[in-house]
Amino acid sequence: MSAHRTVITGVGVISSLGDTPALVSAALRAGRSGIGPVELFDVDRLRCREAGEVRGFNARNYLGDGNLRPLDRTAQLAAAAAQLALSSSGLNGKREEGQEIGLALGTMFGSVRTISEFDRRALTAGPIYAKPMAFANSVINAAAGQTAIWHDLRGVNSTVSGGTVSGLQALIYAADLIRDGRSRTILAGGADELCFETFFGFYGTGRMAGSTNGRGPLAIPFDARRNGFTLGEGAALLVLEEAEAARQRGAQVLAGIAGRGMSYDISRGGDEARAVRAVARAIRAALDSAGLEPGQIDAVSASANGSVAGDRAEALGIAEVFGEEGLGDEVPVTAVKSMLSESLGASGALQTAALLQSMASGVLPGVRGLETMDEDLPPGLASRDNRELNIRRGLVTAVGLDGTCCALVVERNPDVQA
Amino acid sequence: MQPIVITGIGVVSPVGSGRGVFWEALLEGRSGIRPVESFDTSRFRVHLGAEVKDFSPAEHFHHLDPDGLGRASQLAVAAARQAVADADLDPAALDSERTGVAMGTTSGEAQEVERFDDCYLADELDQVGARFMNLYPCHVIAGNVASELGFEGPNLMIPAACAAGSYAIASALDVLRAGDADLMLAGGADCFSRITYTGFARLGAIAPERCQPFDRHRKGMIPGEGAAVLVLEPLRRAVERGARIYAEVAGYGLSCDAHHMTGAHPDGDGAARAMEQALEASGVGAEEVSYISAHGTGTPTNDRLETLAVKRVFGDSARSVPISSIKSMIGHTMGAASAIEGAVCALAVAEGKIPPTIHFEEPDPECDLDCVPNQARELPVEVAMNNAYAFGGNNASMIFRRATP
Repeated sequence: MSAHRTVITGVGVISSLGDTPALVSAALRAGRSGIGPVELFDVDRLRCREAGEVRGFNARNYLGDGNLRPLDRTAQLAAAAAQLALSSSGLNGKREEGQEIGLALGTMFGSVRTISEFDRRALTAGPIYAKPMAFANSVINAAAGQTAIWHDLRGVNSTVSGGTVSGLQALIYAADLIRDGRSRTILAGGADELCFETFFGFYGTGRMAGSTNGRGPLAIPFDARRNGFTLGEGAALLVLEEAEAARQRGAQVLAGIAGRGMSYDISRGGDEARAVRAVARAIRAALDSAGLEPGQIDAVSASANGSVAGDRAEALGIAEVFGEEGLGDEVPVTAVKSMLSESLGASGALQTAALLQSMASGVLPGVRGLETMDEDLPPGLASRDNRELNIRRGLVTAVGLDGTCCALVVERNPDVQA
Repeated sequence: MQPIVITGIGVVSPVGSGRGVFWEALLEGRSGIRPVESFDTSRFRVHLGAEVKDFSPAEHFHHLDPDGLGRASQLAVAAARQAVADADLDPAALDSERTGVAMGTTSGEAQEVERFDDCYLADELDQVGARFMNLYPCHVIAGNVASELGFEGPNLMIPAACAAGSYAIASALDVLRAGDADLMLAGGADCFSRITYTGFARLGAIAPERCQPFDRHRKGMIPGEGAAVLVLEPLRRAVERGARIYAEVAGYGLSCDAHHMTGAHPDGDGAARAMEQALEASGVGAEEVSYISAHGTGTPTNDRLETLAVKRVFGDSARSVPISSIKSMIGHTMGAASAIEGAVCALAVAEGKIPPTIHFEEPDPECDLDCVPNQARELPVEVAMNNAYAFGGNNASMIFRRATP
């Protein structure tokens, strides 16, 4: 099979830290958190009351005057990010036959709020009063469908659901379609909304920071005191394009996708050795497919979000590949969810977008709040301080709370690389 | 490029479970459509559904506790176990890191969000939070299959609504072609859902008495549930281990209407593009297709537009290609449907038989294709095409053909 190279030519983000990669990057460098009191729904009865909400989100600011009613919050976040990504890539104009743009949207839930409200209305008012529009949006691929309609995306349209790794998995899914010559241009990334249903559900599992004991939330990745994650929301989409097609249209190339890997931990975190091995396997598969050695990676953006077991497995898996000694000095690791929170389907693409910013700026953000490194983890793994460094190749990892592991290697300016 | 072939089939369906039972029921034209039992339909004007009746989860589980899983996962695991046994494989003997899972669904573990809603309305939410989050997110379906069978390779969940099974099989095909795994389980699963039933009832899309795709008086679809899982592996490996080969998965086409959430494009645009891409990707001409497994839901619009799209692609020969809809017998099993229909295409290729569209009485001038009315047909099938269309305008066509070792 002829292998096509995949490049990134555009980025669109809607996040608790802002709606441009530059805003997100500036906040991360300044150690500013997007986490604050939940405003979207009532949390008075719960011990957790904070989230990484996209405050004041108004889809009109991005999508104009069209009829937004058919789009629920997840779909509006996705469609807004798509708008930003398309315009940053110069793909806003009219598209010709055969130039279809695809969409690979990672999402953990679609909109479970839409689904649940549809059901509850039918139960209370009677099935005849159920809302047809809400039913159309009750499928998990609804946000992808609505975004395609809004932006006339007639290429491949896939929704990829892998829990918190959904966004990174969607990037891998799309990059593979381009590699195989099936598509030339795909918007890829993810979206999830913050809603009562997911907030309450995660709260019930005890995995949310501050949900189980007397201590307040400490969603600080890798910190010894961490006690879970803070839930968030957002959308991030990258424009992935076949390298030659991007060159022909004179697109600005932000980075290239050099390799990717996936694995699954059948114990879903229950057996730590297995969980660590799964993380390491995904990373090694990504390096192998890129033809790279661990030493050729300059920085890692980890998905660590404050989860006690999850952060540990991810850190140890990274250490298994890069060696404990090399971490920190040779290969610094950052964890942007310390500020962006756990935005589920959006998070892997947000990590990637932030890493592209670090490549451009030469500054890798520190882990906000990190004071006491978990003593079971490699001491130099991560730091609260920003690092200045030249990132030619970066690794993004995503480790699910429930088994799925993904890794993606991005490289700067592939066309001019020596 | 090494061909990828199907060597195992597992099906849990409203007309019975297990490849043999299922296939025999289809060829006999038996219907699995009955009054709904999983919830009270007295507030609805329609009452029929296609539920899986002969199912006891426990017998399919060796490692996980089936009571800790949602019904869609239970159905998926059962189909996966059957598929692996049908392929004459011992899961424990496989290279676990080189074996993966790709599954599709429409609504995932819908019964778990319904349980959440019941508790919400009863003000008993405290009893459901953890269960909801642990059992509901749809990716647990592919995860549960992998955890039960011990498969540590790539794990993908593609919720592409009613075309999801085909999207998952397509992904598995690409994973194998890229050499990222040696063997993949791929398919789809959905459980019977009050939400789905309510929605289709509200749209007036559910048939009151029976499902009769392509018939002039067709009145709609019948919501159903089920699962199908296929074992996919490279031809060389299948030949080496002396596996029975049903068919090759030759290629696929995916497209998006970008037109309407629940209705197909009025010109059959996306559907036609998916078929054309599938043929091109497979290196197969339209004239070589011996059988089409229709999406064929039985709604007035779907069957008319699918006919239009088939004519766009097949031209004058459209009317000579048999095209049947097993949804007349097993209802619309949502995310499982295109996986089950993929199994049908593989069986059609392997056995030279095609299942009928039952309840066909009066031809519709707008659906003037050969829908294999009421009687199964014996016919050599070299190439079969499987069509699937979904909410969100997600279209998929997939080509299955006789494998040539």
